[in-house]
Amino acid sequence: MAGLLLSSTEKVFIVHGVQEDFRSDGRSNIDYRPMELETDVVSHASGSARLRLANTDILVGIKTEIDTPKPDKPDMGKIEFLVDGSANATPEFEGRGGENLASSISNTMQRAYHSSQAFDLKQLCIVEGKQCWKLYVDILILECGGNWFDAVSLATKAALFNTRIPLVKALLMDGGNVDLQLSDDPYDFKFLDVGSAPLLVTLCKIGEKCVVDPSAEEESCSVISLIVGITGNSKSYCADKGASNITDVDIKCSTISMNGPGSLAPKTLKNAIHQGM
Amino acid sequence: MPAADLLSSQGLRLDGRRPNELRRIRCKLGVFTQPDGSAYLEQGNTKVLAAVYGPHQASKSKMSTEAVVVNCQYSMATFSTGERKNRPRGDRKSQEMSMHLRQALTAAIKTEMYPRSQIDIYIEVLQADGGTYCASVNAASLALIDSGIPLRAYVTACSASLGRQSATHEPLVDVSHIEEAADGVCLTVASLPSTGSIALLEMSNRLHMDHFNIVLTRAMQGCRDIEVILDGAVRQHLAEGWTKQDVITI
Amino acid sequence: MPLDFRRFNGPEDSVSYKIYTKDYLKTYDEQLKDLYDENGKRKDGRELNEARSMCMFCMFARTDMVSQAKGSAYVELRKTKVVCSVFDPREIPHQNEFRQLGQLYCEVKFAPFSCPRKRRPYVPDVEEKALSVALRQALEPAVCRHFFPNYQIDVLIYILEHDGSCLAAAINAAGLALANAAVPMFDIITSCSVAVIGNKMFIDPTEIEEHIAKNSTEVNHGIITMSVLSQLKQISDFTQIGSMDVECVTKVMEVLLKECEIIVPNIQRVLVVDVVKNFELKKHLEAETKKREEILKKKMDEWRSLLNGQ
Repeated sequence: MAGLLLSSTEKVFIVHGVQEDFRSDGRSNIDYRPMELETDVVSHASGSARLRLANTDILVGIKTEIDTPKPDKPDMGKIEFLVDGSANATPEFEGRGGENLASSISNTMQRAYHSSQAFDLKQLCIVEGKQCWKLYVDILILECGGNWFDAVSLATKAALFNTRIPLVKALLMDGGNVDLQLSDDPYDFKFLDVGSAPLLVTLCKIGEKCVVDPSAEEESCSVISLIVGITGNSKSYCADKGASNITDVDIKCSTISMNGPGSLAPKTLKNAIHQGM
Repeated sequence: MPAADLLSSQGLRLDGRRPNELRRIRCKLGVFTQPDGSAYLEQGNTKVLAAVYGPHQASKSKMSTEAVVVNCQYSMATFSTGERKNRPRGDRKSQEMSMHLRQALTAAIKTEMYPRSQIDIYIEVLQADGGTYCASVNAASLALIDSGIPLRAYVTACSASLGRQSATHEPLVDVSHIEEAADGVCLTVASLPSTGSIALLEMSNRLHMDHFNIVLTRAMQGCRDIEVILDGAVRQHLAEGWTKQDVITI
Repeated sequence: MPLDFRRFNGPEDSVSYKIYTKDYLKTYDEQLKDLYDENGKRKDGRELNEARSMCMFCMFARTDMVSQAKGSAYVELRKTKVVCSVFDPREIPHQNEFRQLGQLYCEVKFAPFSCPRKRRPYVPDVEEKALSVALRQALEPAVCRHFFPNYQIDVLIYILEHDGSCLAAAINAAGLALANAAVPMFDIITSCSVAVIGNKMFIDPTEIEEHIAKNSTEVNHGIITMSVLSQLKQISDFTQIGSMDVECVTKVMEVLLKECEIIVPNIQRVLVVDVVKNFELKKHLEAETKKREEILKKKMDEWRSLLNGQ
C-alpha cells in the first residue's frame, strides 16, 4: 500500500478489533464508510460520476463512439474499461507505476460486465452487423483510501446511469455503407438500462473474520480478499476472487470462508444500495 | 499573423468575452488529505487538479547537493478532451508540458532551501478547454502554497493572442480552445508578476515584431490579474481557518 | 491492435472466412444441442462430469521438457497442450527497495496457431495478461517465497494448443515445473475448471463448451476455475466469469474440490517418476565419475612410477 507504514502492534490492534466486530473507525464488520456521489461532473464526457468513499476518490468519465460490431456478435455493442491511477493519489503511480493495479481492476470490471445478464450490450446496437455504440469507461483514481474495487464499480454504475446516448435521427443505406444522422438537439437522448449492472463487494479476510469496505490500513493487515460481483436484482451474482498477496499459510481463504462471502453477499448488497444509490 | 475571425464587429470574442477579459477562475485549496498540498482550479471550462508531495529524500540518481529536485508529471484524463485520448500520459505533448511546468515552477520555488530533497508535483487535467498549461501552473502554484513550501513569489501563467477588428489589432487575453484551434497566434507566459520576471515564454504561429510587445504586455497583465485572484483565494482559505478535513487529519 | 509487420496483413476490415461457414451460422440452440447426445455423452465421448484427466492416457504430463530451463513440464489434456518452463531465481531487475518475499514472474503466451477461432498476435494481448495475473495469484500461496527474498522466479507458460480449461492446465503444468526445478513449495497445487450452462455442468470443458457457456443467455451460465492446495485444504485461486446464483457457485465449488483431489495422484506419479529418474541419473553419474577417477589414478600412478624410475 502506498506510503502506508503500520507497526505490528497497530496491525494487532486492528485484527483484534475485527475479531470483536468493532473496527478502528467505529464501524462494525458489515458497515460501509460514508459515501458521496456526484453525477454529471465532466461536460466533455457523455456520462460521468465522482465517488468519494471516505478517503477514496474516483472519477469516472464515459465517452461514446460509433464502431462496427464484432463479426461474431453482430447485435451487440462494445464496452471497454480503462483504469488510470493518477499520480495525485500516490507518488507510486508516477509513470507506469500503477499499471498492475490498474489492469487488475479493469480486468475484473470487464469480467463482471461480461455476462449479458449483468449488462445487456444489445441496447448499444444501432444497425445489426453494421454499427454499434462503443462505450469507453475511463476510471481515474484521484485518491486512494482502500477498497478500490467497490468504489470503482459504484462510480461506474452511476456514470453509466448518467450516460446520454444521442438518438439516431435518420439512417441512410448507401450500398453496403450506413450513413447515420444523429440528432442535433442535445436534449434528444436516451439513457441506458443499468438496473442490473454489477457492483463489486470486497470482503477482506482479517484474522478469522471478513469485513466489507476495508480501509487502507485494514487492507494492509489482510492477506486475502474476495471480490464478489453482484448484479442489481440480487438474484444472481458473479464472483471473482482476488489477490492473495502474501503466503502466510495459516491465514488464507479456506473453503469454509469462501462459502461465507457467498451467503453474505445479498446482505452487503442491501447495505451498499442503502448507503450508496 | 492575427486570425481575422477572432473578433466580431462589435469587438467581442467568440465566447462573448471582451479582449481583455479573463475566463472565470474558481479555485479551492486543500482538496485532498493524502498529499502534502493540493488544489483544484477551474479556468472557464478547463479543470485541473494539482497535488504536491514533499519535500522528501530524493532518489539517488536524481539527487543534487545544491538544490531541491522538482519533479513534475502532467497527465490528462482520457475523457478530458472532445476526442477521446488513448493514453493519459507518456505522449510527446505531456512530456513537453511536464518539462515546461518544471522550468516555470523551479523558478518560483526557493530551491536552495532543501538540498538533497525532491518535490513531486502532479497535475491531472480533468477537462481541457484551451490554456491547460496556464491552468496547470496556476493550480500548481496554489498546491505549493497549500503544502507550505517557501516560494519567491506567486507564479502564474497566462496566454494571449492577437485579433483584428477592422484595421486595428487587438490583443486577446486567456485564449480558449476554439481560439487556439482557429490558427491564430498563441503566446504563453509564465511569470512571477510581483517581481516582474518571466519564468517561461512560448509562442506558436507567426507574429509580426511590431505586435509582439502589445501581446506580451497583455499576457503579463493577465498574469498580474490572476495573481490577485489566487491571492484572494489563498487569503480566504486561510481565513476559513481549520477546515473539517484538517481536523480529521490531526 | 498493433500491426504485425512480420507478415502480410490483409485489409483492415477483413474477417475470417469461417464466419460464413455452416457451423458458424448455427443458432445458439443448435450449438447447445450439439454439445451432448441424448445419452448425455459429450462430443468426445465423455460423461458430463468426466474430466479429461480421468481417462487413462488422456492427461499426459511429464517433466524435463525444456533442457535450457531449470525445471519444465508438459501437460496435455486431449487437445489442450501446455508447456511450462521455470528459471532459476534471479535478482529483481530495476528494484530499489528490499522485498522480504521472493517474487513470481508469470507469463502466459498463446502460440499464434493455438486457437481455433482466431490467430494469436505475437504481442501479448489482454487475455494473456489476465491469465498471467491469475496464474501468479494461484501460484504465490503455494511457493515458499520467504526462502528467496529480493529474488524472482520466472514461470513461463506457452500454450501450444487451446481446447478449453487452459488456465487449469497452465496451473497444473506450473506446479509440476516448479517442483521439477526444486523450488520449495508448501503443497502440490492442482486446478480444474467447470463450465455451467443452465442446469448442466461441464467438468473440464472444451473450447466450444467454454464459448457457449460464456455467451449463454440462461439464468446460470459461466465458467469457474479453482486451484487447490490439497494437503492444506486451501483454495489458492478462484475465478468466475458469467452470472450464476449462490447455490450454483457452492455446488460447483464442491465438484471442483473433488476433481482437484482426483488430479493429485496423477501429479504425484509424475513427480515420483521425475525423482526416480533424477536419482538414477545421479547414481549413474556418480558411478561414471568413480570410474573416471580410477582410470585417472591409474594413469597418475603409471606416470609417477615412470618419473621415479628415471
